[in-house]
Amino acid sequence: MLKSWKLKEIVLLSILSVVFAVVYLAFVHVGNLWAGLIGPIAYEWIFGIWFIVSIIAAYIIRKPGAAFLSEVLAATIEMMIGNAIGPRIILVGIIQGLGAEAAFAVTGYKRYDLWVLMLAGFGAAVTSFAYTYVMGGLAALSPTYVATMFALRATSGMLIAGLGGKILSDLLLRTGALEGYALARQGRAHG
Amino acid sequence: MTFHEMNPTVKFVTVTCLMFGLAFMFNPWTPLAVFIGTLVLQSLFANVSWKRWGLFMIPFLLTAIGTLWTTLVFGKASSGEVVFVLFGNNVTEENVMLAVTLALRVLAFTALSLLFTLTTDPKRFVYSLMQQGKLSPKIAYSVFVGFRFFPILKHEMMQLYETHALRGVRLETRLDHVRHVPKLLIPLLAGSIRQAERIAFSMEARAFTGDKRTTYEVVPVTRSDMLLASLLLLLFGVSVWIGIR
Repeated sequence: MLKSWKLKEIVLLSILSVVFAVVYLAFVHVGNLWAGLIGPIAYEWIFGIWFIVSIIAAYIIRKPGAAFLSEVLAATIEMMIGNAIGPRIILVGIIQGLGAEAAFAVTGYKRYDLWVLMLAGFGAAVTSFAYTYVMGGLAALSPTYVATMFALRATSGMLIAGLGGKILSDLLLRTGALEGYALARQGRAHG
Repeated sequence: MTFHEMNPTVKFVTVTCLMFGLAFMFNPWTPLAVFIGTLVLQSLFANVSWKRWGLFMIPFLLTAIGTLWTTLVFGKASSGEVVFVLFGNNVTEENVMLAVTLALRVLAFTALSLLFTLTTDPKRFVYSLMQQGKLSPKIAYSVFVGFRFFPILKHEMMQLYETHALRGVRLETRLDHVRHVPKLLIPLLAGSIRQAERIAFSMEARAFTGDKRTTYEVVPVTRSDMLLASLLLLLFGVSVWIGIR
């Protein structure tokens, strides 16, 4: 999978992962504060934040594996800079990354329109929710409550990660820092 | 024989297996036994500051409390005697048991995670993943780059604050700084992306190809790793037994 990757793309991937690992950690604390008050649903509406690096990396680099690897790297770096969720977070990263990657795989890594990015956010929401369902024992909750949780997470995934990721990347494109990466090249090709 | 010396990949796999196993246990005794057992093993085979441990535990204690009452209030309707009514939801004995189980599960997960986190050197973990886990050096070394990049990022952020202050942004209190963070994101990312390009060039200039490499620091798998892993698995076995008994 890594054969077609240039070193500078891999390093970009890991730098993006560091920046977002910090953002992710900050929001874990925001979520934790809430969670004591209103329970695990506190995380749901901001859950998209934790998928965003997948969408940004895939949108900029446009190679198979970008969505998956960036999320796993972000999780690993989160663990390295100190997070009590510990090794579990890598597992979470793998699962979320697979969900986002699936959307790009289905479209053959050829389309990076807004709807594909939103689909990736949705995909990450689906796989990560399956994980929460098992590990958090959501079977113990009433189905309506579980459905509400999922709806919130899916919406958050599509809007914050999908739409938000696109907006952020397009803003970055305007700074000129992305010259030499697929996003800038493709942008020029389309005129 | 300590958890600090234990092979990180073996430790990672064992701890993860235990957590997965716990997810399928729906009685309060198993997670409780795992929680206590983990603490016992930690005090026997690791030298961890309990003060640090306690500080890390606080947010998860909050999560556990949140989980407890969410499961009570929004619990699945179940037949059985109603023990009490909470915010209009009939709470049965089964609901109470489940709520306690899930809250204890959060605590058991955290205890296991902390056993890993507080005894593992991140660098050794990545080395071990490369040596035992067949992780590609390309990825392993970019994780190192990422990890090393953290202080640079902090420095860049300080610099941005100063630049923005020079241009007349009011940044006096802590709150001002926090509120200004969203405005830093784009310049911070743009700067980081340019840095990434330079780092990649300098890695290539030093003949880093990403092929399989020899390493100075060898992280072995020894007999005591297997012993510690067995102890953890034994703890899980005993806890499951306590649960079904």
